[in-house]
Amino acid sequence: MAAMTAALSCLGLGKRYGDLVAVDDVGLSIAGGQAYGLLGPNGAGKTTTISMLVGLLRPDAGTVLVGGVDLAREPLRAKARIGYVPQEIALYPELTGRENLRFFGRLFGLPRRGLAARIAEVLDLIGLTDRADGKLGAYSGGMKRRVNIGAALLHRPQVLILDEPTVGVDPQSRKAILDGLEHLVADGMALLYTSHYMEEVERVCDRVAIIDHGRIVADGTRRELVSLVGGADTVELVLDGDVGAAFEKLRAVEGVSEAARTGDTSVRLLADGGRYLLPSLITAVEGHATVTATQVVEPDLEATFLHLTGTTLRD
Amino acid sequence: MAALVAANLRRHSRDRTGLFFMVVMPFVSILFVGMAFGGASSSRLPVGVVAAGSDAVTAALLTELRAHPDLEVRPMSAADDVRSGVRSGSLAAGLIIAPGAVRLDLVVTQANGSGLAARGAVDGAVAKVAAVQEATRAAMAAGATAERAAGYVRQAQAESGRVGVTGTATGSGGDPRGFAYTAPANLLLFTFINSMAVAAALVESRRLGMLQRALTAPVRRRSVLLGEAVSRLLVALAQAALIVVVSALVFGVSWGDPVGVAAVVGVFALVATGAAILTGTLLRSPDQAPAIGPPLGVVLGMLGGCLWPRESSPEVLNALGHLFPHAWGMDALLRLAEPGTGLGAVLPQLGVLAAMAALLLFTSLVLFSRRTPA
Repeated sequence: MAAMTAALSCLGLGKRYGDLVAVDDVGLSIAGGQAYGLLGPNGAGKTTTISMLVGLLRPDAGTVLVGGVDLAREPLRAKARIGYVPQEIALYPELTGRENLRFFGRLFGLPRRGLAARIAEVLDLIGLTDRADGKLGAYSGGMKRRVNIGAALLHRPQVLILDEPTVGVDPQSRKAILDGLEHLVADGMALLYTSHYMEEVERVCDRVAIIDHGRIVADGTRRELVSLVGGADTVELVLDGDVGAAFEKLRAVEGVSEAARTGDTSVRLLADGGRYLLPSLITAVEGHATVTATQVVEPDLEATFLHLTGTTLRD
Repeated sequence: MAALVAANLRRHSRDRTGLFFMVVMPFVSILFVGMAFGGASSSRLPVGVVAAGSDAVTAALLTELRAHPDLEVRPMSAADDVRSGVRSGSLAAGLIIAPGAVRLDLVVTQANGSGLAARGAVDGAVAKVAAVQEATRAAMAAGATAERAAGYVRQAQAESGRVGVTGTATGSGGDPRGFAYTAPANLLLFTFINSMAVAAALVESRRLGMLQRALTAPVRRRSVLLGEAVSRLLVALAQAALIVVVSALVFGVSWGDPVGVAAVVGVFALVATGAAILTGTLLRSPDQAPAIGPPLGVVLGMLGGCLWPRESSPEVLNALGHLFPHAWGMDALLRLAEPGTGLGAVLPQLGVLAAMAALLLFTSLVLFSRRTPA
């Protein structure tokens, strides 16, 4: 994942307002087909960072490369590869969904010919084909959010940057949005995602950076970040058969640091990488009992976040 | 940029109230205010005339007054009837012609547009009769008989007939009344007010984050700013063009030299655009724009003579009015409505308006650019 080939990368990004350092030495790199989460408490510098990445704000230091194109040197070429979904619903309420999409299509320089077809594709993608000709002002919050995202997809960007895309959205629309994003990533798009909703980031992103006081304090896969708190997974098993014998076998499995019987048929184990241990756990009890239910409770990002920033995401 | 303009125009076209104010209100205003200031061009100014004598001067004067296109002569018997008619407003003016006298009594009220207009028309008629009298006297003094002198004058009148007709037209054009005054007045008034109201859309664009988002597209910053400015300018121009065309077709207003009118209206639209962008930049909430813009437009319109003729307001007010674009626009448009004037006649006014436009546009675009984060 060299910076040259990354869909979006930045290095040494910095921005200060007078004495206040808003962003300091931020670097990240996102490859095509990768979803990257940016987490941070309010005022940590998320929005400032994103503003610099999409070319709204000139950084004091550092470079931004979009698909290898320097944003500062060739802003128009670089911007054409970015799809940016702002936190607010930046759409004209007086116009219909379709007209809003047409506006952005034209703004991004899509040729008139073929624009209608592309708009129809995007409408289909965001599931609004039926409601495309209603006025945007009359849409539900979730529908507006979907058009807001659709407007950034028209020009087939290499990178999609989303700033809190699901604020004020009903669960159904939220699911539709997240499903859609996963499809886009699976199709090779790079994604930069910020959200207050930890579970969204955990679900969508395979790599996460935690930003605090303008600096990236941790960066890695979800598991790498979680292991920073040094926690092991809790594995809960429900067994059918000779539970006592099975329990002894489980306890001996390598990686299990602790084991306890929590009921007549249930066992709780503490294990590093518990999820990956599951097959060996199931094999271990063979001949004595069968596993009828499992639950792996991992220490989550929320705990990591709290550990690293001293705040929760939603305060 | 074209995309921005198209989207903005489409937005404005969705705004029903805005459209009503653009398309209907100016004409309602032109119609009512025009009628108040001198009636529709088809209806004439009623002038009560008491003519006791039947001498040549009286007859000539009556003929002249009856022939005047703007006057409706109502013969009356008593001077008091004329006075009370003028006072109550049923007569625009009254004229008392004493037999054989060299003095005529003209009865008008001072602070009344139609009175002023009637006075202008009566003055014109009297001047023509006086000129005939003077010419006849001159011919007789030169040794001609009364009949021959009358013949000379008739001949001279016939030859100068065309000039005479032009003179009449100039008379009513130089003292604009009715629609000839209210049409340009309302053009300026509404072009400005509606531009200010449109500023709300600009504030809304900023609040929604549309501008910031547009700046993330592969578009130059100045294209985005220009797109916003051109959208407002087109609205102002459309408003002005609509008023010019409809008032010319429906109310028979003659605007004068098309090039001159286009220049004045174009520059004024630029001024209105600059003011709109400035307002749109300085205000925080889109609700403030309709609350501040139109009242400001009305006040400037009052000062500039867009609501009532400036002849009826004090000098100080008129001087104050010339600090703002409306007064200059009115000066230029009224001047152009006079026959025989063209672009050259309004260059000073155009210069002042252009300077105002440049200043406003420059200030507003700089501020606008600064307030849009980038």
